[in-house]
Amino acid sequence: MLRSLKSRLILASVLWTSGLLMLFHMASIMLVHMSPSLRHFNGFWAVSVALILLAAGLAAARASLSSFKPLREKLSAVHQGEALRVEGVYPTEIQPLIDDLNALLTAREKAVARASTTAADLAHGLKTPLALLAAESNRIAAEGNAELAESITHQVERMSRQIDYHLARARATAFGATGAVPCPVVDCADALIRTVSKLYADRALTISSSIPADFYVRVQREDLEEILGNLLDNACKWAKSKVVVKASRTSAFVVVTVDDDGAGIDPALRDAVLKRGVRIDEALPGSGLGLAIVRDLAELYGGSISLDASALGGLRATVSLPAVAT
Amino acid sequence: MRVLIIEDEVVLARQLANAATKSGYAVECAEDGEQADFLVNSEQYDAVILDLGLPKIDGLTLLRRWREAGIATPVLVLTARGSWHEKVQGIDGGADDYVSKPFRMEEVMARIRALIRRSSGSAHSEMKCGNLVLDARSSRVSVAGVPVKLTSHEFRVLSYLMHHHQRVVSRTELTEHIYAQDFDRDSNTVEVFITRLRRKLGTPFIETVRGLGYRMSEPSEGSG
Repeated sequence: MLRSLKSRLILASVLWTSGLLMLFHMASIMLVHMSPSLRHFNGFWAVSVALILLAAGLAAARASLSSFKPLREKLSAVHQGEALRVEGVYPTEIQPLIDDLNALLTAREKAVARASTTAADLAHGLKTPLALLAAESNRIAAEGNAELAESITHQVERMSRQIDYHLARARATAFGATGAVPCPVVDCADALIRTVSKLYADRALTISSSIPADFYVRVQREDLEEILGNLLDNACKWAKSKVVVKASRTSAFVVVTVDDDGAGIDPALRDAVLKRGVRIDEALPGSGLGLAIVRDLAELYGGSISLDASALGGLRATVSLPAVAT
Repeated sequence: MRVLIIEDEVVLARQLANAATKSGYAVECAEDGEQADFLVNSEQYDAVILDLGLPKIDGLTLLRRWREAGIATPVLVLTARGSWHEKVQGIDGGADDYVSKPFRMEEVMARIRALIRRSSGSAHSEMKCGNLVLDARSSRVSVAGVPVKLTSHEFRVLSYLMHHHQRVVSRTELTEHIYAQDFDRDSNTVEVFITRLRRKLGTPFIETVRGLGYRMSEPSEGSG
């Protein structure tokens, strides 16, 4: 019937007022009959008071309905990840709904955290036996069967990459774009540059970065670290001597570029390396799924990645991530 | 060179210990956080391989504790936790290198070699003193291109002296770095090793600094 709460309220009040009018009409007729002196009553004042009452009633009705608009804004903030819960005080009929909604959000967060922990436990639980298997293959090699040992090691590495890839995805899907607290790009990048500098200490690489301090993205910190870490790792692996990290901003995105002066990737192969499981150089351990993880994570947050030739001579990886307005 | 392996998975610890022994290190193992903490605080190691998921005290907690206490021993973290977030935490916690499981044994050994080399300030795995060459990668020693066969203890003594060639190394320090802890230590045996090394190497590469210890010295051209 009537879908809108507003029209239902108007209908109800019109019906109520009509009934009231008929009653008053009857009452006034009876009053005038009983005391004819009331005929000279000042009608102007009565009309004024009536109009004021009507206006006040209208305002009260509007106010009670208008609490829905901020509620929608708060809900959309939760959806966008700007708020964790629906906050504020609402009319007694709506408040229980809001409380239930917040309780539901809490329960879901807990379930997601549990699932994510389970995935991580599974991954870590698998990796120690895999490490054992890889170590045992050394013994096989020592006994003279190097080919079998290499084959085992190779398969163990493949399994491990699959675990890393799906663990990163599972974690990102669990938290994802909703509920991500704004993360400062420069902090994350600096921490990762410190890390890869240690990991590639023997390579004497110069890693420079220029990222403005007020660039924030709406990406979970762990995922931003995974994205930038894989890009930096890939750049360091191939670079001859130099890696450069830069960032710029468009209205909706923070665009981070990572350049290296290595051999680069053939244009025809660039799309292929972003696909799952394609490895350009089988000889380099750990390469292959890194860029695919970056692509998946970036897309999950509504961003993107592209590969081009770098002015430094190697590869330029460009990743766009949703910016937080500052 | 002494290496401590902290790993609760016994089979993996044994594999690592075998590989490290083969590379010429004196190796000790710890199976939990408390034991590791005790050893690192009371002994001198040239490198530590640290697993993070340890019983009793977590590896990352240990690492932070050591760094706060000013223990600068190079630490290679070897762990199943392979995400970049965890790598950042490990490195910021004070690790010098980070390898995630599963790993290639030769890669871990190469990284340990590099860590020890960097911590002593040398730039190459091949160290030279005159015509004496020590290759840490293959654990081989040669004088004027002729290979010299050394026992593992003799190799450790020479390797330690060459890693710290710029200074005098005391006899106690040498003892601490060439024996695993459960060994019966006797600093007199160091003298025995030095004597044997001098005999095997021929040229007087190892100089005795009276009252202080030993130092590598490049024999002058005409003295042979």
